[in-house]
Amino acid sequence: MSTSDGVPVRSRGVISLVEKNCTVCMLCARECPDWCIHIEGHTVTHPADEVHRRPRTENVLDRFAIDFSLCLYCGICIEVCPFDALHWSPEHSYAGAAIGELTQERDRLAGWEATAPAPADRDA
Amino acid sequence: MSAAGSLVDAVRSAVGEGSVSVVPGFGPVSVEVPAASWTTALQAARDAGATYADFLTAWDELEAGLVVVAHISTPDAADHVLLRTRVPSDDPVLATSIGIYRGLAWHERETHDLFGVRFSGHEPLEPLLVAPSLGLHPLRKDVVLASRAARPWPGEKEPGAESAPARRGGRRRTAPLGVPDGWVQEDA
Ligand code: SF4
Ligand code: SF4
Repeated sequence: MSTSDGVPVRSRGVISLVEKNCTVCMLCARECPDWCIHIEGHTVTHPADEVHRRPRTENVLDRFAIDFSLCLYCGICIEVCPFDALHWSPEHSYAGAAIGELTQERDRLAGWEATAPAPADRDA
Repeated sequence: MSAAGSLVDAVRSAVGEGSVSVVPGFGPVSVEVPAASWTTALQAARDAGATYADFLTAWDELEAGLVVVAHISTPDAADHVLLRTRVPSDDPVLATSIGIYRGLAWHERETHDLFGVRFSGHEPLEPLLVAPSLGLHPLRKDVVLASRAARPWPGEKEPGAESAPARRGGRRRTAPLGVPDGWVQEDA
C-alpha cells in the first residue's frame, strides 16, 4: 500500500504524537540516542473525592518537541512508549528554510496523527 | 563454493583451536583471534573461498583495548564471517591486511584516523577523514563528544517536573545511555 505520492504507508516519514495518550513519563526522551526529544511538564494534584479516596497527582504536558534535524529515524521512541502516544506517519515533505524549522512542536506533531496508518493487526 | 560455517573451521585450524573464540551473533559468526594471528586468519579465510572483504573498522573497549573487526565473505555471500582481534589502547599496532585484501586499504586509513590503530606494512597511512592537525582520534572514548558534555540531557527531568532535579551528591540519578562515565560534567 502506498500513499498518494507513492511511498509505502509504513515508511518512517515523520513521528506523530497522540497527545491524549502521553503521560509525560519521559521514557522516549531518555531512550532517544541523539537527545532530540524535548519534553516539559508539570504535576497537578486532584483532591480526594467520593470516587478517589486519596488525592491524586497527574502529569500535564507543557511542551513536546522533536528536532528532526538530529533525529535518525531509529524508531526507538515509538517502540519504547508504553502508551502508544507516538506513531510513524509516511508524510515526508517538511523541509524548512532554516534548521530551527525542523524542530516540530506538539501541535505540529499532533497534526500528523491523521496521516499515521492504523497499527497492523498483531493476531493476523 | 564453501558451505556455510566452513570459513570458521578454516580459521580455527589455521590459527589453532585453543586461541580462537567464536562469538555467535544475530548475523554472521564473529571469530576472535590473537593479534599475532591476524593475517594468518585472514589468509586462511581467503584460501577457503572468502575472497571478498567489504569493511574493516574498530571499536574502543577501554581497558580491554581496541577491537578491530573485518567482514569477509565468499563472493556469492553464501558464507561470511566477522574476524576480529584486540590491540592494546596505548600501543595499537596490527599487521596490515592489504597484502591479502587490497580493498581494505581505505578502511585501514579510516580506522587509523578514527581510532589511531597503526597497520604495520601499510605506510604511509594517509589521512582520509580526519586532519592530522586535529591531534586526536575522535572515536576513542577518551575523546569527549562536545555535544554530549555541553548540552543538558533532555531525559534528566523527572516525569512532571518542570526542571531537572538538583544535582546532589549521593543520590544516583538517571544517566544517559551509552555516554561513558565522566563525560557529563557534574555541577559542584
Ligand atoms: S526516531 Fe530515534 S532519533 Fe528520532 S526521536 Fe525517536 S528515538 Fe530519537
Ligand atoms: S514515552 Fe510516550 S507517554 Fe512517555 S513521554 Fe514519551 S510519548 Fe509521552
